Amino acid sequence: MRFVRVPRPPITRVHRRLAYLLALGVCLAGCATKPPASDPDAVADYEQTNDPLEPTNRVFYAVNNGLDTVILRPLALGYRYVVPEPVRNGVHNMLSNIGTPVQLANDMMEGKPRRAGDTVMRFIINTTVGVVGFFDVATKWGYPNHDADFGMTLASWGVPEGPFLFLPVLGPSDPRDAVGFGVDIALDPFTWVGNPRDGTLKAINWARFGLNAVDTRERVEDSLQQIKKTALDPYATFRSLYRQHRHSQIEQLRNDNRATVPDWFAQPTNQPAK
Amino acid sequence: MNVDDTGAQNSMILRRHFLTLAAATALVPFARGAWAQSTDKASAFIKVTGDRLVGVVNGPGSASAKRAQMTQILNDAVDVDGIAKFCLGRFWRTASSAQQEAYVKLFHEVLVTNITTKLGDYKGVSFIMGRARVDGENDVVSTTVNRPNNPPTAVDWIVADVSASPKIIDVVAEGTSLRLTQRQDYASYLMHNNNNVDALISAMKNQVAQSG
Repeated sequence: MRFVRVPRPPITRVHRRLAYLLALGVCLAGCATKPPASDPDAVADYEQTNDPLEPTNRVFYAVNNGLDTVILRPLALGYRYVVPEPVRNGVHNMLSNIGTPVQLANDMMEGKPRRAGDTVMRFIINTTVGVVGFFDVATKWGYPNHDADFGMTLASWGVPEGPFLFLPVLGPSDPRDAVGFGVDIALDPFTWVGNPRDGTLKAINWARFGLNAVDTRERVEDSLQQIKKTALDPYATFRSLYRQHRHSQIEQLRNDNRATVPDWFAQPTNQPAK
Repeated sequence: MNVDDTGAQNSMILRRHFLTLAAATALVPFARGAWAQSTDKASAFIKVTGDRLVGVVNGPGSASAKRAQMTQILNDAVDVDGIAKFCLGRFWRTASSAQQEAYVKLFHEVLVTNITTKLGDYKGVSFIMGRARVDGENDVVSTTVNRPNNPPTAVDWIVADVSASPKIIDVVAEGTSLRLTQRQDYASYLMHNNNNVDALISAMKNQVAQSG
């Protein structure tokens, strides 16, 4: 029998390096000191902020900021300069369409049949009428996009978010979302298809990863610049924004309890008795 | 007390509950009517304010003229003093009245400066009115803001005191509250500067001076 190597996602090696970096950072920077119990307001603030690794996190914030300034931001600005907005939107739609399997898996694990249905309809409509996902026709036809990732799935299962983390390269996170990020890669069929020695496939996977990063960065450019310009403590501002945004996504997920019976189907509970 | 007594008591309690419930249910339509009115008012208020803002952003005029117009709109439609107080959090109580006064005055300037310095980026902005709902004592009006080069953003406007003199007390963009974010920014800054409100005040002065 021929020995077959288990295919691995293209970012595994990066991940291992990140783990080393993370461990190093924790050793170097240590933990935030908790304020004394005699100052209950300060303690309340400390607990609400929930950032015991703040010194370490700030180191990685500075590292990421540096990486962003020299690599990602120039790429994003170049992308914005060269590619006109409608094309960029099309590329974004295509990337989002390729993410359908992960989104659908999470919709189902979250126990949200209507969201899963939206995802399937979006994929069918956008892949065909929307020309391989370039145009988002589905939104106009009543199937708007929604967020779904394994971090949100864990939240819907009642897993707490844990302390704030600022991860190298990946940015603001928490243990729950960091696990979610890894699981989403594992959930992605494109991580596993084909022969791992196939150079073309590897190149396509990396291209997708890179394009995703540049696309995401380009879309937040204006907001990011604005925050850096106006915040007194940008790190604290990003921490706050990240948490609030995640909480709101999870809140929307929890509140999305649309009935599974479609509107056009005779709904017994709404029919007046004769 | 025998079993029958308890049963009678239970049924009495049940009846009382039922009456309360019936009364409450009877009130619901009225309450709904009042809510609908209040949210209509809030929506109209946001529509007018939004149109004014978009008018300034997309309209002609020099930077200083636009700044004056923007200040006017903020003073008319936004509870800047209340937001300023909220953003200082627990430090508001410990600040001296002179510090409070200086801080609120600067907060007005920082807000106007932050908005006016990025007006150019917002050129071509438009918004679509969404639904309005009541949330506690306030009304929440949802809108979608579209600006060139940026994905559409869901923006909720929190309006207080709708019946008398409506004022915007918070803006929530994609689930992130502007005033809460500002409060945590200030809290962190103060924490790293010995909880000294004067340090915050001088940092704010710096901000205004740099952008102005």
